[in-house]
Amino acid sequence: MSSIKTIAQSDILFVCHECDALQRVPAVEPGHDAICIRCKSRLFRNPKGGIDKPLALVIAVMIMFIVANIHPIMDLTIVGVKLSTTITGAAYVFWQSGSPELAAIVWLPSVLVPGLIIAGLCYVLFSIRFQLNWPYTKPILVLIDRLLPWGMMDVFLLGILVSMVKLADLADIIIGLGFYTFVIAVVLYAATIASLEPHTLWESLQDQSGKQNEFENG
Amino acid sequence: MASIIVSAKERGIAGCHTCGQAVKMQNYAQIECPRCGAEVHYRKYDSINRAWAFLIAAFIMYIPANTEPMMHTTSLGNTSADTILEGVIYFLSHGDWPLALVIFSASVMLPLLKMIAIAYVLISVQRGSVSRKTEKTNLYKLAEILGKWSMLDIFVVGLMAGLVQLGALTTIAPGPACIAFAAVVILTMFAEMAFDPKLIWDQVDK
Ligand SMILES: [Zn+2]
Ligand SMILES: [Zn+2]
Repeated sequence: MSSIKTIAQSDILFVCHECDALQRVPAVEPGHDAICIRCKSRLFRNPKGGIDKPLALVIAVMIMFIVANIHPIMDLTIVGVKLSTTITGAAYVFWQSGSPELAAIVWLPSVLVPGLIIAGLCYVLFSIRFQLNWPYTKPILVLIDRLLPWGMMDVFLLGILVSMVKLADLADIIIGLGFYTFVIAVVLYAATIASLEPHTLWESLQDQSGKQNEFENG
Repeated sequence: MASIIVSAKERGIAGCHTCGQAVKMQNYAQIECPRCGAEVHYRKYDSINRAWAFLIAAFIMYIPANTEPMMHTTSLGNTSADTILEGVIYFLSHGDWPLALVIFSASVMLPLLKMIAIAYVLISVQRGSVSRKTEKTNLYKLAEILGKWSMLDIFVVGLMAGLVQLGALTTIAPGPACIAFAAVVILTMFAEMAFDPKLIWDQVDK
C-alpha cells in the first residue's frame, strides 16, 4: 500500500455521511459515483474532466454573475414612467422603504452568498490547479461548505419569472441583459457544483500542504 | 449481509462533516479534523432537542405566514392586502393555473410537508423504530434539497416592491407574512441541519 491514496485512484476507508457505515470503497472510474453499501446515499463522485472543468465553469459563472448584477433585469414602463433596476437596486429600494430586514433576506441568498461562493471557489480552484499554494484555501473551503445551503440563485430566478408575470398586468416589461446573464449564471453555477467533488478538493489541498493521509489502515 | 456492516462509531472512527475525512477519535467525543480543521464528532450535539426546538418555532411561524397579508398593493388610492392563498386564488381566477400551482406548492405545501417529514423522522428515532431506515434517510435528504424553494414568494414580493416602488402611481409594500415566511424557511433549515441522520441508523433491534 502506498502512503497516499486518492479516492479516485484506489480504495480508501470511508464513513457514510448519512448512515455512518464504515466501508472500503474501491476505485471509482471518472464519471461514476460511489454509493453507500448500507443506505445507498452517494459517498462521492469522480467527475469527468478533473479540476479543469469546474475551474473553467466557475470563471464563466463569475463573469456572467458580475454582468447580471450590474445590468438591469428588466425595464418597466408604468403609465409612461420608465423604470429599470438591478437586483441590488431593487433590494436597496426595499431597504430604504422601511424593510431593511426583508431587503437582507432577499439580497443575501440571491447576491452576497452566491457571490462569496463563486469568488471563493475561483480562488481555491486556481490555487489547486496551478499549485500556487495560496493562503487560507482551507478556511475558505470550509466557509464555502457552510454557505452552500444558503445560496438560492435558482429560487430567485423563478421569483423573477413569477414577478414578471405579475407585473405584466401593471406595466410594459422589456427583459434586460441582467436577466439573460442571470439565467446563464444559474445554469453554469449548477454545472459547477455538479462537477465538483469536495473530497477530491480536500485531498488536493492536503497534498499541497505536504501532509500525508492521517489514516490509512482501518 | 446487514450484519457485516459496522458503524464507524463502533470502531472509534467519525467522518468529518466538512471534508469527509475518516478520523480516529482516540477516546475524545470531539476533536479537530486533521485535514480541514473543522470540529469532528460522532453525532451532532443534542441533535433531537435542537431539531425539535427549531421545528416547533417553525410550526408556530407557519400560522401568521399563512393568515397575515404577504403584500399590500396601493393603486390609485385603493389598497389591497393579499395573503399567500389569496395570491394563489388571484392567479387561478386569471386562468393562470400553472403559476397558481407553483406558488401553492412552494409556499403552502412544501414548508408543511418538510416540517411533517422532519417531525416524522424525529418521532421515529425517539421511539427507537428500526424499520424503513433507507426511506427515512431519503425523506430527510429530500427535505434538505427542496426546502429552499419555499423562499419563492418572499423573493417575488421583494422584487415587486423594489421594482414598482420607483413608480408613483402604484406602490407595493411587504406585509407581516413575509418575515414570518422567511422565519419558517430559515427555522426548518436549522431544524434539518440540527438533526443527525445517523441517529436513524443507530436504532437496532433489541
Ligand atoms: Zn450510508
Ligand atoms: Zn475535515
